[in-house]
Amino acid sequence: MRSLIPEFEALRARFPAGFASSLVLPCLRRIQEERGYVADEDVEELAAFLGVPAIQIEEVLTFYTQFRRRPVGRWHLQLCRNVSCSMRGGERLIEHLERRLGVRPGETTADGRFTLSTVECLGSCGTAPAMMVNERYVESLSAEAVDALLEELR
Amino acid sequence: MTEIVINDRTIDAQPGQTVLEAALANGIFVPTFCWHPKLSVAGNCRMCLVEVEGRGLDIACNMPVTKGMRVLTDSPEVKAHRKAMLQFITLNHPVDCGICDKAGECRLQDYHYAYNGEPSLSVEPKVRSTKYYNLSSRILLDNERCILCLRCTRFTHEVSKSMALGIEHRGDTSVIRPVADRPLGEDPYSDNIIDLCPVGALQSRQFLHKTRVWYLKPTPSVCPGCARGCTIQVWHRKAEWRVKALDPAQNNAIARVTPLENPAVNGPWICNKGRDLARLLERQRATEPMLRGAPTSLEGALERARELIGAARHPVALVSSWGSNEELEAFRRHLGAVFTSFVKCDAVAEPGERIEDQLLIRADKNPNTAAAEALFGRAEAQLPEGTDLVLVWGEGFDFARLPRGARVLFLNAYLQPENGHADVFLPITIHTERAGHFTNFQGVVSAFQPCFEPPRGAAHAEALFAALAAPARVHA
Amino acid sequence: MAGRQLLMTFPVTESSHRLAEYRARGGYAAIEKALRSMRPEDVTKQVTDAGLQGRGGASFPTGRKWQVVVPGDGQPHYLIANADEGEPGTFKDRWILENAPHLLIEGMLLTAYALDARHCFIYIRGEFDLPYRRIAGAVDEAYAAGLLGERILGSDFSCDLIVYRGAGAYVAGEASGLISSLEGKKGYPRNRPPRLTVKGLYQRPTVVNNVESLSNVTVIVRDGIDAFRAVGTAKSPGTRLFSVSGHISRPGVYEVELGYPWRKFLDEDCGGVLDGRALKAVVPGGISSKILTGADIEHLTLSHESLWEANSTLGSGGMIVVAEGTCMVRLLEIMLRFYHHESCGQCTPCRHGTGWMHRIVARIAAGEGRPEDIERLYYVAKYNDGTTICGLGDAAGYAATGILDKFRDEFEYCIEHKRSRYQGRLE
Repeated sequence: MRSLIPEFEALRARFPAGFASSLVLPCLRRIQEERGYVADEDVEELAAFLGVPAIQIEEVLTFYTQFRRRPVGRWHLQLCRNVSCSMRGGERLIEHLERRLGVRPGETTADGRFTLSTVECLGSCGTAPAMMVNERYVESLSAEAVDALLEELR
Repeated sequence: MTEIVINDRTIDAQPGQTVLEAALANGIFVPTFCWHPKLSVAGNCRMCLVEVEGRGLDIACNMPVTKGMRVLTDSPEVKAHRKAMLQFITLNHPVDCGICDKAGECRLQDYHYAYNGEPSLSVEPKVRSTKYYNLSSRILLDNERCILCLRCTRFTHEVSKSMALGIEHRGDTSVIRPVADRPLGEDPYSDNIIDLCPVGALQSRQFLHKTRVWYLKPTPSVCPGCARGCTIQVWHRKAEWRVKALDPAQNNAIARVTPLENPAVNGPWICNKGRDLARLLERQRATEPMLRGAPTSLEGALERARELIGAARHPVALVSSWGSNEELEAFRRHLGAVFTSFVKCDAVAEPGERIEDQLLIRADKNPNTAAAEALFGRAEAQLPEGTDLVLVWGEGFDFARLPRGARVLFLNAYLQPENGHADVFLPITIHTERAGHFTNFQGVVSAFQPCFEPPRGAAHAEALFAALAAPARVHA
Repeated sequence: MAGRQLLMTFPVTESSHRLAEYRARGGYAAIEKALRSMRPEDVTKQVTDAGLQGRGGASFPTGRKWQVVVPGDGQPHYLIANADEGEPGTFKDRWILENAPHLLIEGMLLTAYALDARHCFIYIRGEFDLPYRRIAGAVDEAYAAGLLGERILGSDFSCDLIVYRGAGAYVAGEASGLISSLEGKKGYPRNRPPRLTVKGLYQRPTVVNNVESLSNVTVIVRDGIDAFRAVGTAKSPGTRLFSVSGHISRPGVYEVELGYPWRKFLDEDCGGVLDGRALKAVVPGGISSKILTGADIEHLTLSHESLWEANSTLGSGGMIVVAEGTCMVRLLEIMLRFYHHESCGQCTPCRHGTGWMHRIVARIAAGEGRPEDIERLYYVAKYNDGTTICGLGDAAGYAATGILDKFRDEFEYCIEHKRSRYQGRLE
């Protein structure tokens, strides 16, 4: 986390005085971008830097679905399984990916390339079914489109 | 005054009060799990839902009183909702009261019988969670029993300020968890969360599966651990439940210590040292009067002591700061004119013990320094050359400081090597064996009652002082 | 087009979201006008008189929310745009964030001026990627052009705007949960009182408005009350963005003049039910709004009053079209799985009720239903209604009872025959 401190200082300057606690989410997002996950030492260092209780950071890390305490594969495929996506083939797509990758949601392929996850509504209902590939949305999916994407990402 | 109506009763509420506070202050009971008068309002258990005419149901703990409002705390709607809240709370609760220490003093049990009384409506498997989570060396957490009232987390954030506890995850998998770098074990007030827990989720390791609470009775007492003098309840076996077949030591042992709420001194809290009173008090006791290490009768010891007092020209007394107000007064009355008296610091902080803080803990680790100093002054003890008799009452005196040639009278409760070196040794009782009062550092006087019979051979210091002044019969 | 339009008034191109094009379309004229010739209370009065209702889900009158905040009362006030669009079926704020970010920023400036708010925030859901980049880029453009920051457009009015990203929690879309999240904590909603407009962000008066609501503020100040009220109905002035998904030929975001016939909208504007199937049901505004059958909506219009009469609501504008042949048991299972997953766990009824309902319906869908299950679902829903800290528990109950009210027979069939009448079909 230490290398990010100048960036965090700049961020803090943008917020009104007394808003240090608000920096927990943006700082954790940046730490995760850098490391791929949030480590124990990050929690301690961030708590000390912001002057917030470490437990607040631990709570946040487990409350929000996007934070991770462990690394994921090179490509994190997060498929929506909510109503609109399921109505447009989302469930079949999840099964398709399970077969193609040989993993269940929550698991990572042995080569560390792909982690498969299911998520609730991504707000892509009009372009269902949809998934996130790392930070990016990929929408209007089909089995064929997914296969092509897997080839591209291998 | 804000006039409101609760269940057709007109009540004068204080402006700024909540409906719950106004109801409780006027003897109208509303059940709660998460609400606690000394913690912030969490409003999460939803047990205190009440009906406000024209506004429907809302929680009383977060409802400010407004003039003319009409509240129902027992309407059919309120009762139905209370029942439903208990159905929700017990949905994933293991209902393992049979093996739960909290049984018998558990709010969930009480409310279930009072407001629900029916089996669960659910046939779904329960959400499983950690049964024995190691919160600290003192406290175990059973997440399945936890109802997430967050009293414990709020306590560590708002009262003890250790910030040791939080809630991880969410929904029905939410769990109370300690933070790694600031363990609950470092919070000297941690055990208050055991009392705060309205169910059996937080358990004292010391008390775990030791006894059922209905075998115990609480005796009001005062913690001797520091000059705060927190009022406490010392829990011990009821006379009618004295064990014969099992270890009889249980009959005279402290089972646990809990706070005795006292707005003038400690509020509803005590520190962990007070919980560990057994460790402080239940040491091996001295039960035989001795003359230079040779056992003797109490009468013989007193006779010898009176001789020494009568012969002394420069006697000095070191008075115990653990003596009760009554004992100190008895000493002054009977022996004050004979001895040059100083107040002795009987106990100091143990290594690692918190010395002092803003909440309760005081640096002076003796309960009655205030009363002792009021009678005998604050001067540092002087033992000049020529002192020919030293009366030592209680612990904490370094016998290497004795002036050469001085005789020693020693009154002590515990078995210690120094006992045998005294010219006269007299075993005395401890404060769980007698009634009395302590005066705390603020001048607040609190009473303690006897929990146990003194061991045979130990006499009350009060009686000994009278007998040292003039021959009298002492019962021991 | 479904009636007149106020927001989607320009062709979307590669660059239509940029400041230059927004200005060329007349953008930032409203804030200029307000700073030049209006007092803060005039802005509030305009929005109140225009009858703008919140577009996030609860349809609360926007002006009435603002009136609680007293400009110049000596304490900081905050304005937050709720861009935590997470209600399943809803993706209409995303359209604004991606395509008309300056419309939102201008609306926020006007609102901040009305509320005497020096600092504003856009709380955007953590998953949103392109919408985040677009709005963050627009904020940078606005700062560079002197439209944000100190002494805006040479006036005495200064205003800072921070885009704040969530991290994956539906409940953070509830205004008080959002504030907890923006304070860097888990998104626990708060008990009221106090109202957020009295004690919100860091215990200061805070207004949380939906992205579309704030964008409409720009329109109201720019065009005036009469022009705004001329669109829509008397009880539902203006337009609403509907995001249409599910079994529909042309899914997407549509701006609909309130009062527009519902069936016509689906058949003509959205191209009708997918593959020409019959219309079974429509979720009107996100899964937390009660579902209506094809027959129910036949004569309804898209307006607040029309939906209220039908015992539902326009909600978040997330319309999900369900074709004949869809298994409602499975559909409800997915909805309840969502609420179960998203319950923050703070208060008793929702923490346990959402999971309870989910497990019951999952069991029914798996062919292990019991006759008392339906009654039990109504029980759980009833005691989640009005008993929870926020609306999530209530919403889970509405989703359940909404479907049970209309399609009870499907559940009874599934319980009795141990299988779905429609083989669990969702597509």
